[in-house]
Amino acid sequence: MSDFEPEVDAWMKQFARLDERRGPLPDANTLWVKAKLMQSTIAMERASQPITRVQIAAYLLVAGSWAALVTWKWNALSAWFNSFKPAHIILGAAGASAANSLSLTFFMMLIALASVTVMLAFHTILAEE
Amino acid sequence: MTADGLILQTPFAFATATFQRTPKRPMDEAKFEAFYRKTAGRLWSYIFRMTGNAATADDLLQKTFFRFLRSNPTIADDDHLRHYIFRTATNLVFDHFREIKRHRELAPEAVPGSSPSVDLRHDMMRVFAELKPQERALLWLAHVEGSSHEEIGEAIGVKAKSVRVLLFRARKRLAGILEKRGLTHV
Repeated sequence: MSDFEPEVDAWMKQFARLDERRGPLPDANTLWVKAKLMQSTIAMERASQPITRVQIAAYLLVAGSWAALVTWKWNALSAWFNSFKPAHIILGAAGASAANSLSLTFFMMLIALASVTVMLAFHTILAEE
Repeated sequence: MTADGLILQTPFAFATATFQRTPKRPMDEAKFEAFYRKTAGRLWSYIFRMTGNAATADDLLQKTFFRFLRSNPTIADDDHLRHYIFRTATNLVFDHFREIKRHRELAPEAVPGSSPSVDLRHDMMRVFAELKPQERALLWLAHVEGSSHEEIGEAIGVKAKSVRVLLFRARKRLAGILEKRGLTHV
């Protein structure tokens, strides 16, 4: 034992006896309930993590599909949009040639992709609610 | 132990199983309340002496118990639980100091007694605040909580062998501060 150990020990004991607390301690029941709520929130977050990941992947897939579709038929689409210009309409050529290059498959894909996008948006809104 | 198992056992066997083997059941609200009543005051004092701020002590006390409950404590030895909670509190206090350091604030924060009024309580707080956080933890756990070197080592994250040396240095430092301030015979 060092020379100063008894002195330090006495000082620490006296220091520990000082009561510094002014208000009451937090209630044990409140702490218990809060902790349980926190635990359930964490469990819920953990459980919904795979769903969130799938949702993000679906968003990326849909965005990629839209980009691919538009890129694939960009020329035909821009020609189709241009055909709606007043000058084109006056000349009587509204969309005739452009519509020929946009196949039925393209329109089917467009409808399918739009449906998937709407479904995904609804799923996100409903899941959040 | 299942309910069927309990029914089939004799009363003596049941008593032996319950009290000698100390089954590990999750802590329920009543047990937590009893443990909290026994520990919270001491733990608050420890955190307060470490941080020097009552509001921070309140906050860290709650965080400590939240972390404790999140770890799904089992009804084991009370001493073991007490050491576990002091270890958790020590980690949180050290994290708190790290956070303060990151924000370039002065540590320890708002130590009571920064007012000119000279009071024994404030003097003691100021003396203790002069020590490093690790030294404060070492001295409190050793002299107030009566923890062993192994327990202190676990709490502050050092080897038990190092605790002896660190504790010696902390005592020496505190004794030096007391001598310097003329408080050797409080």
